[in-house]
Amino acid sequence: MTGVDIHALAGAYALDALDDVERAAFRRHLAQCEACAIEVTELCETAARLADATAAAPPPQLRGRVLAEITRTRQVGPASADTGRARAGTGWRRWAAGAVAAAVLAIAASGVTYVIQEDRVRQAGQVQAVLAAPDAVVQRAPAKGGGEVAVWTSQSRAARVVMLDGLLAPDAEHAYQLWFIRDNTPTDAGTLGAGMGNGVRLLEGVSGGSLAVTLEPAGGSVAPHEPLLATVPLG
Amino acid sequence: MSRDGDAGAERGTGGPPLRAVPTTAAADAPDADALLRAVARGDERAFAGLYDLLAPRVYGLVRRVLRDPAQAEEVAQEVLVEVWRTAARFDPARGSAASWVFTIAHRRAVDRVRAEQAGADRVRRVAASSAETPYDDVVDQATTRLEQQQVRRCLKALTELQREAITLAYYGGYTYREVAELVGAALPTVKTRMRDGLIRMRDCLGVSVG
Ligand SMILES: [Zn+2]
Repeated sequence: MTGVDIHALAGAYALDALDDVERAAFRRHLAQCEACAIEVTELCETAARLADATAAAPPPQLRGRVLAEITRTRQVGPASADTGRARAGTGWRRWAAGAVAAAVLAIAASGVTYVIQEDRVRQAGQVQAVLAAPDAVVQRAPAKGGGEVAVWTSQSRAARVVMLDGLLAPDAEHAYQLWFIRDNTPTDAGTLGAGMGNGVRLLEGVSGGSLAVTLEPAGGSVAPHEPLLATVPLG
Repeated sequence: MSRDGDAGAERGTGGPPLRAVPTTAAADAPDADALLRAVARGDERAFAGLYDLLAPRVYGLVRRVLRDPAQAEEVAQEVLVEVWRTAARFDPARGSAASWVFTIAHRRAVDRVRAEQAGADRVRRVAASSAETPYDDVVDQATTRLEQQQVRRCLKALTELQREAITLAYYGGYTYREVAELVGAALPTVKTRMRDGLIRMRDCLGVSVG
């Protein structure tokens, strides 16, 4: 990251919108750049004001639990006595980010992180688009043995999002497989990872019929094996 | 992706609306900074006062990011106990006590969301948001405090992209890369909108530190 770029990250930093690698880089920058340190302190104070609009009654039992827990919780001293690390830049903010910074990924790992992040972004973006579509409708069905299958359909996006939620995790030799069933004819609609009881799949197209889930050998089958563990009618 | 709000703005039916709780008017509220200083000296009664003052926003913020009341309760408890544990590290020269607490809360909530990766939890969170009250309604219900009115007014004064970038990041827990993908804007643009949007918010709210 170049020095010119990095000042521009102050806003994203204040919003906790950097990944771990970038946050670590920006925090190093803060120790050397007084302008950013001052700006970030103010932008963090500003970002925290956004919490004002979220006030909601906590569950009543929370108060008693928290007050009981603090009587058993030892307090720590000021940070300067705690660690020799520099407190230059934005002290408390740097500390607040420190919980993660302690686990900051080595730069060597950043390539891997980036790839995972990109996949997650792509999936999140497409899935989000369906879920956020004004015409999205959801249909759910319980699965035999526990859990449920939910299907969001957006005609305008011409896509569906299928979520398997809390199904019994199969062993490593088996996986859940999705099927479109139309006129009693099943068509493969994707297979989850072996051993996975939860998963999300984006399905292109919105033709009718129903969606069924079966348990198959890992990697999937060409035709479904009984029983159908869940069937969701597709509107 | 709808462009009319944050990650929680999907219109939806059913589900209880977020209930915004009127908090004490700022003028007669106990001073969070003074309470936190007392907490740093081990004062449990001061901590109870601080809880009453800040817990609705800690819980509300965490729930907003996580979209899951059960997880929100768990994380809010962790955050509030962390406030007790580390109160001595609060430095008033770096900002207000309230923002110190909300920063810890936001960080925890975002860490929890990111740890979910692309799994079902993350989609469940997004999906659950479709059953929540649209953002503007939440804000409308939360206008009993002057500060809340200010936040709302100042958010509305932003450009659409500034507001979208800020609310997706702060309330949705998305990284700026994810925000760029979600709104279909270039990365440098999103970075810039986050920064200049917050600067505009800062000036609008009259925030100053130190
Ligand atoms: Zn700088």
